[in-house]
Amino acid sequence: MSVAPSFESGSRPAEPAPPLAKALVAEPVVPLPRSQPLQDVQGFEADAGRSNVSSLIDIYLQEQRQLTAVERFSQRHTSQAEHLQARYYKELLPATAPKPGQQYAFEVDLDRCSGCKGCVSACHSLNGLDDNETWREVGFLVGKEKRPTPKGRRIPLQVETVPAIQTITTACHHCVDPGCLSGCPVLAYEKDPVTGIVSHLDDQCIGCTYCVMKCPYEVPKYSPKRGIVRKCDMCQGRLAVGEAPACVQACPSVAIAIRVVDVEETRHRAVQNEFLPASPDPRITLPTTRYLTKREGLEVDAADRHRVVPQPGHGPLVALLVFTQLAAGGFIAAGLLDSTSPVRPILAAAAWIALQIGLASSVLHLGQPLKAWRGFLGWRRSWLSRELIALSGFAGIASGLTLAVWHERLPLVSGLLAPISPLLQAVANSPLSWWLTGVAGLVGVFSSVMVYVDTHRAFWSLRETSLRFFGSSLALGTTLAWTISHLTQGSASNTLAKVLLILGTIRLLNAATLLRARPDSSLAKTVTLHLHHFGRTTLAWLVCWMVGGLLAPLAALGGHASAATCLLAFVALLMGDLLERRLFFTTVSSIKMPGGTI
Amino acid sequence: MPLPGDHPPSESKENSLLRRWTGPLTTDLVQNPGKFGLGRIPERLVPNATTTVVCGFCSTGCGLNVHLRDGEAINLSADTTYPVNLGMACPKGWEALTPLSAPDRATAPLLRDPVAGTETPISWRLAMETFVSRMKAIQQRHGPTSIAFLSTGQMCVEEMALLGGLFKFGMGGLHCDSNTRQCMATSHVAYKESFGFDAPPFTYADFETSDTLVFIGANPCIAHPIMWQRVLRNPNQPQIIVIDPRRTETAMNASLHLPIAPKSDLVFLYGTAQALIERGHVAHEFVRAHTTGFDAFAQFIKPFTRERVLSESGLDGDTFDHWIDLLVRGQRVSLWWTMGVNQGHESTRTAQAIINLALMTGNIGRPGTGANSITGQCNAMGSRLFANVTSLFAGRDFKRETDRAEVAGILDIPTSTIPSRDSWAYDQIVDGIDKGEIRGLWLIATNSAHSWVHQERLQGLFKKLDFLVVQDLYHSIDSARDAHLILPAAGWAEKDGTLVNSERRFGLVKKVRRAPGQALSDFAIFKLVAEAWGCGSLFERWSSPEATFQILKSLSQGRPCDITGIRDYRHLDDSGGIQWPFPEGAPTQADGSPETERRLFGDGRFYTPDGRARFVYENPRPLPEPTCAEYPFVLMTGRGSSAQWHTNTRTGKSDVLRKLYPEHAYVEIHPDDAKALGVGPGEKVEISSRRGSLVVNALITPTVQPRQLFLPMHYDGVNKLTHSSFDAYSRQPNYKHCAVKIRRA
Repeated sequence: MSVAPSFESGSRPAEPAPPLAKALVAEPVVPLPRSQPLQDVQGFEADAGRSNVSSLIDIYLQEQRQLTAVERFSQRHTSQAEHLQARYYKELLPATAPKPGQQYAFEVDLDRCSGCKGCVSACHSLNGLDDNETWREVGFLVGKEKRPTPKGRRIPLQVETVPAIQTITTACHHCVDPGCLSGCPVLAYEKDPVTGIVSHLDDQCIGCTYCVMKCPYEVPKYSPKRGIVRKCDMCQGRLAVGEAPACVQACPSVAIAIRVVDVEETRHRAVQNEFLPASPDPRITLPTTRYLTKREGLEVDAADRHRVVPQPGHGPLVALLVFTQLAAGGFIAAGLLDSTSPVRPILAAAAWIALQIGLASSVLHLGQPLKAWRGFLGWRRSWLSRELIALSGFAGIASGLTLAVWHERLPLVSGLLAPISPLLQAVANSPLSWWLTGVAGLVGVFSSVMVYVDTHRAFWSLRETSLRFFGSSLALGTTLAWTISHLTQGSASNTLAKVLLILGTIRLLNAATLLRARPDSSLAKTVTLHLHHFGRTTLAWLVCWMVGGLLAPLAALGGHASAATCLLAFVALLMGDLLERRLFFTTVSSIKMPGGTI
Repeated sequence: MPLPGDHPPSESKENSLLRRWTGPLTTDLVQNPGKFGLGRIPERLVPNATTTVVCGFCSTGCGLNVHLRDGEAINLSADTTYPVNLGMACPKGWEALTPLSAPDRATAPLLRDPVAGTETPISWRLAMETFVSRMKAIQQRHGPTSIAFLSTGQMCVEEMALLGGLFKFGMGGLHCDSNTRQCMATSHVAYKESFGFDAPPFTYADFETSDTLVFIGANPCIAHPIMWQRVLRNPNQPQIIVIDPRRTETAMNASLHLPIAPKSDLVFLYGTAQALIERGHVAHEFVRAHTTGFDAFAQFIKPFTRERVLSESGLDGDTFDHWIDLLVRGQRVSLWWTMGVNQGHESTRTAQAIINLALMTGNIGRPGTGANSITGQCNAMGSRLFANVTSLFAGRDFKRETDRAEVAGILDIPTSTIPSRDSWAYDQIVDGIDKGEIRGLWLIATNSAHSWVHQERLQGLFKKLDFLVVQDLYHSIDSARDAHLILPAAGWAEKDGTLVNSERRFGLVKKVRRAPGQALSDFAIFKLVAEAWGCGSLFERWSSPEATFQILKSLSQGRPCDITGIRDYRHLDDSGGIQWPFPEGAPTQADGSPETERRLFGDGRFYTPDGRARFVYENPRPLPEPTCAEYPFVLMTGRGSSAQWHTNTRTGKSDVLRKLYPEHAYVEIHPDDAKALGVGPGEKVEISSRRGSLVVNALITPTVQPRQLFLPMHYDGVNKLTHSSFDAYSRQPNYKHCAVKIRRA
């Protein structure tokens, strides 16, 4: 609680105590409009009256700070051990624990929910969440439904279509196949083998927020203050002792219950798309929450279906992706050069530096970087773990190769490594090591692609993401080789410019295809974000790509090849790719539960 | 009740090199038994005592179980045992402590120069000297009635009473009113005329015992969610009928929704009475024994034919007939109304038309019946009894000499101090400022600059005042912009006192938080003003809120609202609140507390001199501002969500509540109208009335009818549009019907 400085007696600011008339003259802090002749003013003449007010002020200020409710009133529940609220929720909890093949699930009776949103607040208060943290959310479905008409007293079966609004309360769906769990690189999620509750290990979390992207329901919430995500655990501590979760305890309409559900049935329902209108495809994670309604002919959509919300830009991830992809492309290009080419060592060094920049910046993305070393743990299921392993492997191999190439030219290192110098030379000259590095780089890029593809967002499709990520690798690698060739040799093969031109054309055509997506397509919001919210960034991106991917290579092929042209192409493409990658994050339309009123 | 197959929570697993099951981040959320019957709660929030405090937002009057550590509130939950809310609360209640910690709390008196834009923190002593000298100077120059106050339904009864006594008996003032004028004045007047006293007859158990519930201009799902909870507990599978131009959340949950045209309610209700008479559905025995004026009423409503109702309300005949069927079939019909009725240009007669329906069908005094006004603010009901504003204490009449003498005797003050004239109502005070007759204004816990109709006029008038004092929790409220002096007030739960809820239940507010800085309870501020004014001796016995409560008891003696049977605050606390009346010697349960749920008029005796209820009626009046070619849309305003309260000064301070309502003002508009305007969802529209205009987002929804717009009242600027028209009897403003136009912004 923020409290202003205490003004208890003694510490009060000193103030003059002149007679009233003088006080008003002496303290003309505010020239009050239409000020009255002061001698007219009555009251306060007596010093006694004033001192009475002063002492009352002191008394009241002191009284204001005294809290006596405990002493003055009955302490009714002092020895109350059992949960008082239990009387209201006994029937809202399952009578038996789940059997094998079953688990706990939330059940929401939409016909009882009247939209008071008390569940959100109760969860917040009873779980002691941060001020702006909520584990339960509400949204709205709007549309139409069919109701028996009052005219039905004459024709009993007649129905009419009437407007419908429905509040949707939602928390974690404790999915059969939780996206958060399968995506977590450090195994910070647990699905309880008995209850099926998906819980989060707060001290294991590294704050990579991949679970936030992986969960179709936007359940895990990142706390910048703590550097981790937290989420609903169905109040499993309460359930374990027979108490109801906060939301179940608190729903005035008795609309939320915990039930035992059949895993196979949940799977079947997901396949039949029986979950909730206007919500993510349940086949992705097999959510267990049951939304019940007896209402018929509901034709509804999310109240916020038109709302377009920019997503986080993830600067560190932008740098990670672009620079590691540049590095992969650089090493591949270097490998394709003749082993005696003087360009090769410089290209390798440049690619290596890019790789280090990319990896280093990724650390800035994490809320708990010191725990990141556990990132390999999730390799069985998490593409993020695999990306981490792949990029680490790539970094290791690339570093070894770069060292082998450069060891003789580095003053201190050359002495240290003198004994194995022949071996290192062999490595540096062997086509195999360049192939290996190139493949490691491509595996890294592929795993990066899969990190995003695995979030099941329309924009981050396999095709789109591959084109962008491998496109970056090839275009930036080619341009880097081209530039370094020019810088070191004063010329470069036109083949590089041709390759660049082809890549530039493909990439621009792909961008144009995206931006012309139909308004009713799943990419409509992504397009809106590009054109309306981030119009200038989009323009800058496309201009960069045109300069670097079309104009520069065309100029080179037209006889204007120079180091400056190449450098311009490289800088423009690097800028273009960084902008493109930022837009990749900010313009993705998240799949989510129905949201707010507008 | 451990479950079979009880399993240990995962945090009990051991840490290993690779998996951290526990640690400081995990511990933050670890739950332990909270004791005090709280179940498991986070360890860092385990209290060492609990106590019940009645919520300070709406009139439902829920009990909140405040978790205390060393006497200070650290959290709260809904009180399981409080008879009002039975362990439940709406989001505002859950978040009730949060607004107390807002950074913009007023922490010291501020002397301001609104023209120069300067403000200086001053001492309370100087604040009091300034207050008294400025107010007295104004009175000396312009007469004693040239100062006024506008207060609130949000303070405690004792504070309201002290303020009303101080202003009228001590300061020599006359004109004062409160924001309850915007909320409950209509019900007050309607009940007073019909029943002989402002006496809402119901108890919340009536929600549970009705077989037919009729909600007229009421949306309890959103405005009173905990009352709706009581409806859902009704085991009779009741017919729920909602009469509202909008298809609200409540209408959605009803068995019948009657979307009548805005402000066709009076004709609709008279037509309903006429149809019931035609069907022979009149409780003649009850009417004969306990009412007067039925025959004339029956004569009067003859012209309100089915055809007229259908043409004015827009209903179809089958729907209207079905409604009449349900009323005829109902054995225990309860009729509930709130702001949709109260905030109209002929609202008193509309409320009385509802009362008439209850009287003529004998649906009053029995469980599950009644003509029941659901109140708005947490203490509007206390204000109606004890604010000493419209009525002299305890529903007495300022104009009646015997009443004045009685009060003077009880309070031990000279009768001459009690004014024998009625105060101006809110709108008349506003006009008084305009005419220069009111020069000094004291605003207490209300945000008139946002909430009053025709907002820009009032904001302009504030600048005309010689002296504007704003007493509030926050120095940032809209009304403080033009203030000369800001007095920092303690808030709910930072002070003691009682609140009276919709079902006449006195509940207790307790001081369980320390107010920031130098903020003082309104009670203490009024006491200081009394002392500084030089009339402190008149209020010597009013030494504390609880001492004042004892005085109010004596004032209530022999009145319909007699509460002399309530011993003290502790008695209230132990009984889960006590409904009035509870005179000394009234029957109690074994533990000394009264029956938990009590309704009025079970004996058919009303508070009129002859004990009979009155049929009160009058021909409908023309709309103050009908739609026309230039302003073709009807604008209605009202509550937007359960997470917002009034002008949002408090609810806007909670992160959680802010998540639960749209950040920007929006208008509900029908898809056909949106299409005609070429407006898409969420796009900006400009709404204009003859008084002002406002740009908001469009919420396109078929739940409003074509040519009707609905604006939630919580967003600033909404009242730029509303029309300055009032019910002739209650002087309550008309927020539910004015003419506007709308276009793409």
